[in-house]
Amino acid sequence: MNTSVENVPDLCESQEDCCKKFVDRIIKTNREIFIMLSLLEKQMCGYDIIKEIFSRCDVFLSQGTVYPILYTLEEEGMLHAEYSKGDMRSKKYSLTPRGREAAEKDVEDFAKALEQVSFLVKR
Amino acid sequence: MRSMQKNAINGLDEILFVEIPEGSVILVTGAEGTLKSGLAFSMMANHVAANDEHALYVTLEQNSESHLRNMNSLGIKKGSNLHIFDYRDMRYEWMNSELDLIKMTEEVIDSYKDKYEDLTLFALDSLNALYSISEHDNMRNIIYDFFSHLRDKGLISFLIMESDRSSISGQFSQFHQTEHYLADGTIELGMIEGKGGVKRYIQILKMRATKHAMEKHQLTIDENGISIRGPIY
Repeated sequence: MNTSVENVPDLCESQEDCCKKFVDRIIKTNREIFIMLSLLEKQMCGYDIIKEIFSRCDVFLSQGTVYPILYTLEEEGMLHAEYSKGDMRSKKYSLTPRGREAAEKDVEDFAKALEQVSFLVKR
Repeated sequence: MRSMQKNAINGLDEILFVEIPEGSVILVTGAEGTLKSGLAFSMMANHVAANDEHALYVTLEQNSESHLRNMNSLGIKKGSNLHIFDYRDMRYEWMNSELDLIKMTEEVIDSYKDKYEDLTLFALDSLNALYSISEHDNMRNIIYDFFSHLRDKGLISFLIMESDRSSISGQFSQFHQTEHYLADGTIELGMIEGKGGVKRYIQILKMRATKHAMEKHQLTIDENGISIRGPIY
């Protein structure tokens, strides 16, 4: 399965106002997956991640929910953090090999779960 | 029901005769340099290590690294279940945005609680720093709601607050009376000059739903961390 972030806009751009509240809820409840998904292609700081998810999905994940996830994922060895060259205040995060493996697995499982839910509600 | 053991630091059972119940909001007050941060951090580190629970220490005054350096210099070790959150990255990256740090702190707590169901202890270092960078018209209502949030989460919370009592009236400054009124407990730390020189002390001024000593007890620090000794007179 392609776990690229390019899959996310397809899901989000097609949403209509009536389903926005559900998309909003799904992304907020599963924010750890969406944060890791954002990091699959490039390293980013917390600010970039929030902006990226907002621009792709029109969902604002607040700072108070994103930074704790970044810190705990770093503690768990899923993310690697380093300060940008020439700027010791901006911390960029990237997936460790273990984090990448977990992110790809989570995205795959998450997509399957969504398919299953979609099947159930359409019956 | 979860509670905090009265042996969370060496000698705590000298002043606290029963465990602190969950949902308690406790102020740790005193002048600068009286070991407020060290006491809260030490109690949390020991408690989570002994009980395999999780704790969250939010620092607004320092970043995580400098806080940890200070704690290491006091002989206090942080276990893997004690999480430190600082606002350095968030404040730098969002420097052009107005951040409501009280709301943010509630979200940070919720986020850790989502991740670690057995998060039982929380500390904020310090309330003074939170006030100094928060702009609210009705701080009393805001702080009431913040305390309620901590109780609703079932946490035992230590809120560090630099605050002196008047040596004449024994009252805290009017500016901080709301917090003392709303809190379930107040632990005061200070220094006292006697025949043997200057000694640090700890005194429980208030602790709802618990039995505790009223006297000032000596607080000591050595390579093994913080300990509470006998009463000071």
